[in-house]
Amino acid sequence: MLLQIFLTFLKIGAFTIGGGYAMIPLIKREVCSRHGWITEEEFLDGLAAAHSAPGSIAVNISIYTGYHVRGKSGMLMAVLGTILPSTLIILMIAMLFSQYADQAVVRRAFSALKPAVVALIAVPLIQLAKKSGLTLKNAWYPLAVAILVGFVGISPVYLILLTIVYAIWESRR
Amino acid sequence: MMLLSMLYTFFKIGLFSFGGGYAVLAMIQQEVVIKNAWLTDTEFMEVVAISQMTPGPIAINAATFIGYQKAGIPGSLLCTLGVILPSILVMMIITISYLKLKNLPCFQQIFKRLRLVSVGLIAAALIMVLGNAVQSLFAVVVFLVSFIATWKFKLNPFTLLIAVAIFGAIFGSA
Repeated sequence: MLLQIFLTFLKIGAFTIGGGYAMIPLIKREVCSRHGWITEEEFLDGLAAAHSAPGSIAVNISIYTGYHVRGKSGMLMAVLGTILPSTLIILMIAMLFSQYADQAVVRRAFSALKPAVVALIAVPLIQLAKKSGLTLKNAWYPLAVAILVGFVGISPVYLILLTIVYAIWESRR
Repeated sequence: MMLLSMLYTFFKIGLFSFGGGYAVLAMIQQEVVIKNAWLTDTEFMEVVAISQMTPGPIAINAATFIGYQKAGIPGSLLCTLGVILPSILVMMIITISYLKLKNLPCFQQIFKRLRLVSVGLIAAALIMVLGNAVQSLFAVVVFLVSFIATWKFKLNPFTLLIAVAIFGAIFGSA
């Protein structure tokens, strides 16, 4: 059973390229339909919880599922399976990269990759802004965060803590 | 000392990374580039590009990569551990108590507000990388084409970055 949890999440971890949201349907198919470890309702609850906790959605949902199925050991197997493929691949690339980083062809490739990465950050900004309930009245909030972090150089830590305190105060009014 | 401070830094990054991959970039940049100077702006962009071309979440990939560059395999393992440890701790608590908590008004208000913060944090990451990465006409063209391909034609990041890397290797500047 533990081995099966590990292998399932190993497969999930190996096939998520380009971020967490892409792997949600794959995880759902594996844990709900294929293995029947949790029901669809439980999965949706887990997804909401995964969004609320810090860290990546994929890792969080694997923690949730693993814990549900087999307690703490199930959780560890699931996390290990999810991160092992990317950790090994990144480690290999890091080793190779330090040897080839100064090659002209690598430098040329990165001269184009850098602006492309900027575009990859810009697109989810627009998508998330639409989904976050942004209105003219509350737009000052993300704007202030962007300026304080991006220009002034304040750590996001303080702004997140402040936001949590502010939200608790708001809901108590 | 170096290893301990890396573990601590990535634990902090993991603990305060709400809202998925891109919102965590501002946090990583703040800690790794500005505060500890473990990477330059250019190296940071390289790490982000590599993280996006490989499977797995950006925060974990960045932790593994930066950890290896600064302190070899022990460094990469510790940074990876540091960044996922908060997820494990918080998720465990949430999994046990979430169903009881999720209908509390203050809980919902917190996440409504944090979603807005995530938007701001992605914008901050954009502000910080824009000046460094988009300086030439070539870069502006690559940026615009990549933006349209991702935004309008829903091209996935992996395919886009592989295509851009090949294009850059041929036409880019060293």
